[in-house]
Amino acid sequence: MRRPLDASRLGRWALDGVAALSLGFILLPLALVIWLAFFRQEIPSFPPEGYSLRWFGAVFNHRSFVGGFLLSLQVGVAATAVGLALAVPASLAIARRRFRGRAPVNTLLLMPLVVPGVVLGTSIYVFQIESEIATGWPLLGSTYGLVAAHVLIVIPWAVRLVTASLAGFDPTVEEAAKNLGAGPWTTFRRVTLPAIRPGIVAGAMFGFVMSFGNLEMSLFLVGAGRTTLPIAILQYLEWKIDPTVAAASVMQIALIGAAMLVTDRYVKISQVV
Amino acid sequence: MRSVAAVEGRSNQRFGAAGLVGPATIYVAIGILVPLAILFRYSLNQFVPGRFMVDALTLENYVKFFTDAYYTGVLWRTVRVAFATTAICLLMGFPLAYVLARTRTRRKNLLIMLVVLPLFVGNAVRAAGWMVAFGNRGLLNASLMGTGAIPQPLEIMFTETAVIIGITAVNLPFMVLTLQSVIEGIDRSVEEAAFSLGANPWRMARRVLFPLAMPGILAGTILTFILAMNAYATPVLLGGPRFQMMGPLVYSQFVQQNNWPFGGAIAFILMIATLILTAAANLMVQRRYRI
Amino acid sequence: MAQLELRDLSKRYGEHYAVRSVSLDVADGEFLVLLGPSGCGKTTTLRMIAGFVEPSGGSARIGGVDVTYLPPWRRNTGMVFQSYALFPHMTVAENVAFGLEMRKLDKSETAARSAEALRLVRLEGYSERLPRQLSGGQQQRVALARALAIRPDVLLLDEPLSNLDAKLREEVRIEIRELQRQLGLTTVMVTHDQEEALTVADRLVVMADGEIRQIGSQRDLYERPADRFVAGFVGRSTFLDGHVAAPDAFETAGGLRLASLTQGISGPASLALRPERLTLGPTNALDNRLPGRVEFVSYLGAVLELHVRLSPADRVVVQMPNRGDAAVPKVGDAVEVGWPREAGLVFAGQGNPAIERENQNVEA
Repeated sequence: MRRPLDASRLGRWALDGVAALSLGFILLPLALVIWLAFFRQEIPSFPPEGYSLRWFGAVFNHRSFVGGFLLSLQVGVAATAVGLALAVPASLAIARRRFRGRAPVNTLLLMPLVVPGVVLGTSIYVFQIESEIATGWPLLGSTYGLVAAHVLIVIPWAVRLVTASLAGFDPTVEEAAKNLGAGPWTTFRRVTLPAIRPGIVAGAMFGFVMSFGNLEMSLFLVGAGRTTLPIAILQYLEWKIDPTVAAASVMQIALIGAAMLVTDRYVKISQVV
Repeated sequence: MRSVAAVEGRSNQRFGAAGLVGPATIYVAIGILVPLAILFRYSLNQFVPGRFMVDALTLENYVKFFTDAYYTGVLWRTVRVAFATTAICLLMGFPLAYVLARTRTRRKNLLIMLVVLPLFVGNAVRAAGWMVAFGNRGLLNASLMGTGAIPQPLEIMFTETAVIIGITAVNLPFMVLTLQSVIEGIDRSVEEAAFSLGANPWRMARRVLFPLAMPGILAGTILTFILAMNAYATPVLLGGPRFQMMGPLVYSQFVQQNNWPFGGAIAFILMIATLILTAAANLMVQRRYRI
Repeated sequence: MAQLELRDLSKRYGEHYAVRSVSLDVADGEFLVLLGPSGCGKTTTLRMIAGFVEPSGGSARIGGVDVTYLPPWRRNTGMVFQSYALFPHMTVAENVAFGLEMRKLDKSETAARSAEALRLVRLEGYSERLPRQLSGGQQQRVALARALAIRPDVLLLDEPLSNLDAKLREEVRIEIRELQRQLGLTTVMVTHDQEEALTVADRLVVMADGEIRQIGSQRDLYERPADRFVAGFVGRSTFLDGHVAAPDAFETAGGLRLASLTQGISGPASLALRPERLTLGPTNALDNRLPGRVEFVSYLGAVLELHVRLSPADRVVVQMPNRGDAAVPKVGDAVEVGWPREAGLVFAGQGNPAIERENQNVEA
């Protein structure tokens, strides 16, 4: 009997086909932006008249892109650092200790993920105005104000990923360390920390990327004349689309892709998302 | 002695937990709950042109929203777009999620990274990609007109179709990743058991895979629905200035019109509408399937 | 019920054969056990019979019908999975009825046959429970009932007892065996547990490295193992390395010359000795009588096991029944070990094959 071309085989092909189509649909807009960045002419018309690298240089003549990139980087790094400092101890308690209010605390810490970005932006906007009225400290529009808000989106990602990495960690390993004479701090540093390092690395990357790419919340919080990179790109696109903004996007895609590849060396991304 | 030590140890730990979890909890509580409370209070204030915001306790902002056909039209359009994109995401996402979940080779990590990368790149950049495709002289029209399929460029840019395509592409990775993690938790041998008992793939999927994946389907649907309801960059860029959805409406009322009470009310209506619709979906699904 | 025929069935992954050229017949109503260490290809063989793995070559026929490339749902094989694979969202009754539903039986027939299947496994009162509300043993029986309800042509059992504790395992395997006999089910079971295999099988197939090493009854495998691997895997053997010195003599690495049936083998070889075939003490009538020194004693209850050093290079394990009438030898005691020449089996090659395999697996 020969291997037949039956319905089940066709079904498998159809399944793979639809899956490939979906993946293509996800990637198509990125591919088009990358393509546009290399066009010779300025107007995105097809077929392209030729190819050029000059738009990558043109990006640096746009103050909003350069300034936006630097501000996004600065805010992302600061928010990730503060967010991890708050989230890692909290994750340890949530994953390892039994205390009253554990479930509501966990829900609260993950809440910034589910409150819509626009609503989060508006409410933090009015909060910062109120606190400025109350204290006289100009929080709104400052880098501090932006970082403070971005910490809120770093925390849930860090909590999620660090608690997940602790879930697979056998607590008897810590008991073994203590049995062998390690004190609580040494146990944490030599046994617990290495075990949750993948979670921390992943949490740092996700937190940073989410902060770096945040648009809806930041829209409300940036000060006059200062924008983050996503806002700069959005405002440019509202005006026009051309290879310059595509080149700026390609640089962002490359940066994030590189961050993912580096992170992937420490922790398999397919296991944390 | 022993019991005293045990009690001490426990109270020590309890204090430790509070010390560990306290700072983050207080930060998020102040950073989210207090602002939401203030925003809600604002939404009960009055907006007097020229005098900005006046303290009051009134529902007139909410009444204004629901009695003006323009605003209810925006809400209705937002809900419609959110439903459409969520349904398409589910249909397109399940096969990809299944294939990813059941792939065991080294290719899997690469595939997952390809799904995650666009997620990280930001909505504006991805909308830009569709702008390249949909413009009058964009890829789609240029190739259709080049082959003589159509005499005139199609009007896709600044239509609901463009927005639905854009939001679907933005939300699809979330759906795929949510479903993939749930499907991965379903024991492969359960599928094989169904096959060995005479179920063909379609009946296996309907009777075994879908019911077991239901928590993931529900989670993915809710997530993509919330994201679609609150989309900002995609409707602004692909829908144009005249295609209003709730997210951009909040921004324009708040920042451009400086009408904080009304902007706050719209933000709350958006949040409540999202919550009600997701809760309803939750109930419907739970009634049909035992989860 | 029907007979099963496998002809030259193979599964290749790249250059590596998971299963190579397996041919065997299972008679109507026979209980066949595939036995072998992990990675020997027994599970792949079973999955090819069920249709989950597509063979790279060869054929499988059930009741005379070629099923080699038939999808699993068009074969009538009932399978009990190692993890049971119960549908967690369905009740016990729904699980058992699933296969009948797929066959579009009418409601009353479905109900009657599921009830009968549940009665067979003595779970009548549990039909409305969910799988997670059952103990491991009960879940195992639901899995069995589910496979029986479809009245399969062939019943396939994939390590069905490995998730049960030792005591329950013994009970359940006897139950399965009785049910199988009563229903006249053609059955193929996969296991790595030789005691389990020996208890239930009509016939056994020993596999290693993707190939069949021997097919036979318990007695065939034990008394006449086909090669060193089977001798080491079925029952226990002590292997003495050495070479064939004469047509009727084996010489160990330690220089002991032993009367043996060498069966035409020459050159480097090993001698396999079953611990219970060796005798301790005055052994006048035996072909081989050797002085030795006790190195290790295990008091196992019903039997005693002694490790006896015969020469610097040779050590054997001797089992003696614990009758309570003789003094138990102590470590360091001088003893005499004896056995008839037929008790030793000579095989080409050296070393203990089971241990070698184990080491290979660890390195790989």
